Amino acid sequence: MGIKLEQKHLFGILYVCLAASILADVLVNFHGQAEAQAHTAFLWQTIPGFSAIYGFVGCVLIIVVSKALGHLWLQREEDYYEKH
Amino acid sequence: MIEWVHPGLIFILGALLIPVLKGRWKKIYLLLLPIAALIDLLYMSTSRGVFWRIPLLGYELVFGRVDQLSLVFGYVFTIAAFCMTLYALHVKEDGHHVSAFLYVGSTLGVVFAGDLFTLYLFWEVMAFSSLFLIWYRKTKASSEAGFRYIMVHIFGGICLLAGIILHVQNTGSIAFNSFNWGTGWGYLPSYLIFLGFLINAAVPPLHAWLADAYPEATITGAVFLTAFTTKSAIYVLIRGFSGVEILIWLGAIMAVYGVIYAVLENDIRRLLAYHIISQVGYMVCGVGIGTWMAIDGSIAHAFCHILYKALLFMGAGVVIEMTGRSKFTELGGLYKYKYMPLTFWLYMIGAFSISGFPLFNGFVSKTMVVEASAMADLPIVWLLLEGASIGTFLHTGLKVPYLTWFGRRDKDKEPVVEPVKEPPKNMFVAMGITAFLCVFIGVYPQALYGILPYPADYNPYAASHIIAMSQLLLFTFVAFWLLRGMLHGTPTITLDTDWFYRVLGKKFIWFCEKPLISFADSIDEKVRRIADSFVWFSKNPPVASRIMMLTVSTVFLRPFNPNPLYTRYANDLEELRKLYPAEVHRLAIGSGVLLVLMFFTLYLIIYLTYGVLWV
Repeated sequence: MGIKLEQKHLFGILYVCLAASILADVLVNFHGQAEAQAHTAFLWQTIPGFSAIYGFVGCVLIIVVSKALGHLWLQREEDYYEKH
Repeated sequence: MIEWVHPGLIFILGALLIPVLKGRWKKIYLLLLPIAALIDLLYMSTSRGVFWRIPLLGYELVFGRVDQLSLVFGYVFTIAAFCMTLYALHVKEDGHHVSAFLYVGSTLGVVFAGDLFTLYLFWEVMAFSSLFLIWYRKTKASSEAGFRYIMVHIFGGICLLAGIILHVQNTGSIAFNSFNWGTGWGYLPSYLIFLGFLINAAVPPLHAWLADAYPEATITGAVFLTAFTTKSAIYVLIRGFSGVEILIWLGAIMAVYGVIYAVLENDIRRLLAYHIISQVGYMVCGVGIGTWMAIDGSIAHAFCHILYKALLFMGAGVVIEMTGRSKFTELGGLYKYKYMPLTFWLYMIGAFSISGFPLFNGFVSKTMVVEASAMADLPIVWLLLEGASIGTFLHTGLKVPYLTWFGRRDKDKEPVVEPVKEPPKNMFVAMGITAFLCVFIGVYPQALYGILPYPADYNPYAASHIIAMSQLLLFTFVAFWLLRGMLHGTPTITLDTDWFYRVLGKKFIWFCEKPLISFADSIDEKVRRIADSFVWFSKNPPVASRIMMLTVSTVFLRPFNPNPLYTRYANDLEELRKLYPAEVHRLAIGSGVLLVLMFFTLYLIIYLTYGVLWV
């Protein structure tokens, strides 16, 4: 029960952080144009929440692509090198 | 006047005394050596230039090139050596300590080497001393992995030596400075040296030795291995090949490559080893970009990486030490055991650092390289490097702790792995100090920026950086949590480029031993027969030639049988063969002398008439 409650709290904190990071991004874009410009090299960096999208999509891609590569090609049984 | 000694010498000569000392004194001595080296380095930093010049065979060896670049690497190697020695203080084998100190000392030798011969000397000592940190594990797997490790490094060393020799032949100078770069055969010496460096930097496809050997090393030896070989390679790349464009791409691909392999790994230290490759990718990329900020970023990242990667390997080492297991499929649910929460949190400091969380040291160095790629207008490189950050947090920061300390074990009601051994306390003190340094640099990056060779005009804590990094990592967590079911370890190994020498190599050896050798044997047999027939012939040439003629004649005459000629020949042949070699007709000794005299006369005639009768 204690663990369950703790996990719930942790997820509460997580959601707040997620929202805060997006909100902060929007605010910085809105208010500190000049400051934001100084650190913007590519077009996509002006999109608010780009890093969030990239983080999520990138993570899913890394897992799925690697797993596919592993299953189709690279992963072998543990004694592969003894047998071959 | 030089008031300091070479810091590498402190380690190398100091190592010789280790077996003599006993008990408490040995431990104190082990810790004092890195401290002495660090104090020595601080003395060195007051004087810049070239010291310890020793003339040799018309060349000048330079053991002490002191400038800001070599000093930064010197500092971090010495600090890391102290933390690692503390972590390894409980190890009983003297040989283990000696090889670790030789390894550290030779790396410092590489760092302060001002000429190529000195560089090569220490380069080889580095390879061989580190080998024993693998072999001291004393398992079959470690012995085999060690052999493969040293084979690859011997190959790299030979490339380096060949390059150095050609370079010295072409330029006449052994000074170790930036090498010429371009395309064409004229740059062959540079290519060979470059190849030697790339092997030590573990750049794919030449990287497999790292992920193969490091996880098989001893628990404390692996911690040493993480720091020195790859980072000294980064140092020499900065010296020799900064701004070489191909490094940008090699580095960016390398950063992602390590991440992809880390997904598939089931061994905790092999996963971390693939993340060394990934992190070194950032540094290689920075060297390739070659701007001040990129080079500074590479150096800063090497500095931070040495600390947090040591910390991560220390954490993994404690787990292996306590449970005797290293595979995710055999670990899980460790958090509730004694010492484990402490290990977990110290490990997590390393994990936050490598992932580049704000306030941890990875953030202040990694973002520098990424920013440099943006300033050099390399969008694809930027995306690859940021993508590698995602993967780094996903594995080191989420997958490893999840599968080691928490994991599905509770849910599945499978028996949890119980720690069987109490870990030595010094391991935790070492982790604590390393963790403190990671956080210290993260909070106060000026301490690091202040010692970088170029003026680093970079502020990591700009609002946009913090926000972008936080978003990236937080949403990585979201994706991880949704897909965590896919990340459980599977009892498999993953093929990598070591397949080429482990499987194809074995097949090649088989090919040499079986088909090639039997082919060679058959050739041998034929040649021997020809030789035999010459021997037979020379026993009595006149009779032998008669036998041969008779043989040919009988072969031709056989179709016209019966034939009186044929019968006669056949009888003669049989008789001659029976008698052969028969009596050899011998000449008197006088005829030999006559032949010699005739020869000399001919020679005399040619000699006297040359230029008179003919030209």
